[in-house]
Amino acid sequence: MSFVLELRKVKRTGFLPAFLSGGILAAAVPALNMAFRSEMYVGMNAAPVNILLDANWQMMSMLNILLVVAGACILYNTEYADNAIQRMCTLPTKESTMFFGKTAVLITVSILLLMIEAVSVFGCSIHWFEESADLYMETLKNFGFFLMLMLPTILFSLVIASVSKNMWISLGIGVVCVFVATMIPSQNFVLTLFPFALPFLTLESHTADVIRNYTVAGAVETVLIALLEVMILKVRRSFE
Amino acid sequence: MNIIETKNLTKTYGGFAAVSGLNLHVPKGTVYGFLGPNGAGKSTTMKMFLGLTKPSGGSFVIDGKHFPGDRAQILKEIGSFIEAPAFYGNLTGEENLDIVRKILGLPKASVSEALEIVGLTQHRKRLARKYSLGMKQRLGLASALIGKPPILILDEPTNGLDPVGIHEIRTLIRSLPQQFVCTVLVSSHLLSEIELMADNIGILNHGRLLFEGTLDTLKRNAAAQGYPTDNLEDTFLALIDADNQQRGGAR
Repeated sequence: MSFVLELRKVKRTGFLPAFLSGGILAAAVPALNMAFRSEMYVGMNAAPVNILLDANWQMMSMLNILLVVAGACILYNTEYADNAIQRMCTLPTKESTMFFGKTAVLITVSILLLMIEAVSVFGCSIHWFEESADLYMETLKNFGFFLMLMLPTILFSLVIASVSKNMWISLGIGVVCVFVATMIPSQNFVLTLFPFALPFLTLESHTADVIRNYTVAGAVETVLIALLEVMILKVRRSFE
Repeated sequence: MNIIETKNLTKTYGGFAAVSGLNLHVPKGTVYGFLGPNGAGKSTTMKMFLGLTKPSGGSFVIDGKHFPGDRAQILKEIGSFIEAPAFYGNLTGEENLDIVRKILGLPKASVSEALEIVGLTQHRKRLARKYSLGMKQRLGLASALIGKPPILILDEPTNGLDPVGIHEIRTLIRSLPQQFVCTVLVSSHLLSEIELMADNIGILNHGRLLFEGTLDTLKRNAAAQGYPTDNLEDTFLALIDADNQQRGGAR
């Protein structure tokens, strides 16, 4: 119910077209890379999906995170622009329900985004590399991992967007966080737990143990960020 | 029987008391005019009733329900309009009301009914951000009236309306207790406006309740204290002025 309501609220905001076009743009990255310099990659001795992700994922994930940040800002700007949130707060519903509804919407469009990208990586693998039996499974595993690590980013972006009534402040903070994340060394486990740094990680570059640790850490971060938002809402109400 | 009752309701911001020890009694099925100059604490009181602001002290009961324990039940019974219209600018008037309808679990027909009451049926498909100020005000009222709630809290609902609009809304508010069997708490800083709508009034100044009762009682009390009673506007101003003088000339 809350999911449907939140989806209705973003009508005419450009939210869905932004994710669709952003997904197509990110999906175009591996395709264009292969179209212009396939000779650099086809001779490599690794699984095609891993070669493609190793070469393109940094750019693709950067686009994904920027889209998530912009999406979160759009979702909350509809509430703050004409003070609709005040009316919502006077109805028998909780602000936290609204937050989790928006989270569900952002997760859904992020899945759509990753699906478009997965199709592109899968297509590039078939077109430029020899088709292997486990290609389908490899793609699924990688993009499942990306989705898992994207959850803290989605929630943290929404927390930032919910705190400030001015969309430009939320967007600014989000963009700064993205650039901070790009400066974090990818081999440092603790630093890469920063919510905006997690989506840059790939399965191939880590051992099974580290991947398990990241998966657990991502899940724990997701829960903690959700609790943080609930606390913020309670504290904010006390100061209003 | 009182549908809204407050007991020493207080709201402070740092050292400033926006509402101080307020004891309000709103009788069921009446229009209660909440009157006071700007900054008197009218909106703060209404915001506390709606859970938008946490009281610093005291308590209140709405239709026998206590806040904050029965917050959801209280909000189910209240239609509200606070300070300025609040809406989704990217949605049409109809879509805005449909969101409220879904949250309240009302039938689909309640949207068109609310639009009809405030005279927005013709403009229901227009984006709310493209509405004129008066139309936004009407949309806010429609959002408060949807589902005919038993209690209506309206904070300066005629702000921004032209004289014809003011007259229409005033007539509508006046008719609500009979039409929808509801209680209306309406605020204004204009006694002339409240005079035409309210059965009972409460006068607030600097967060304190100066008077509560009927207009006739106000006139009688004012005459007894030597305040002008020919014009209620003058009575109101004299009352506020006397209170300000007592507080050391603070305005």
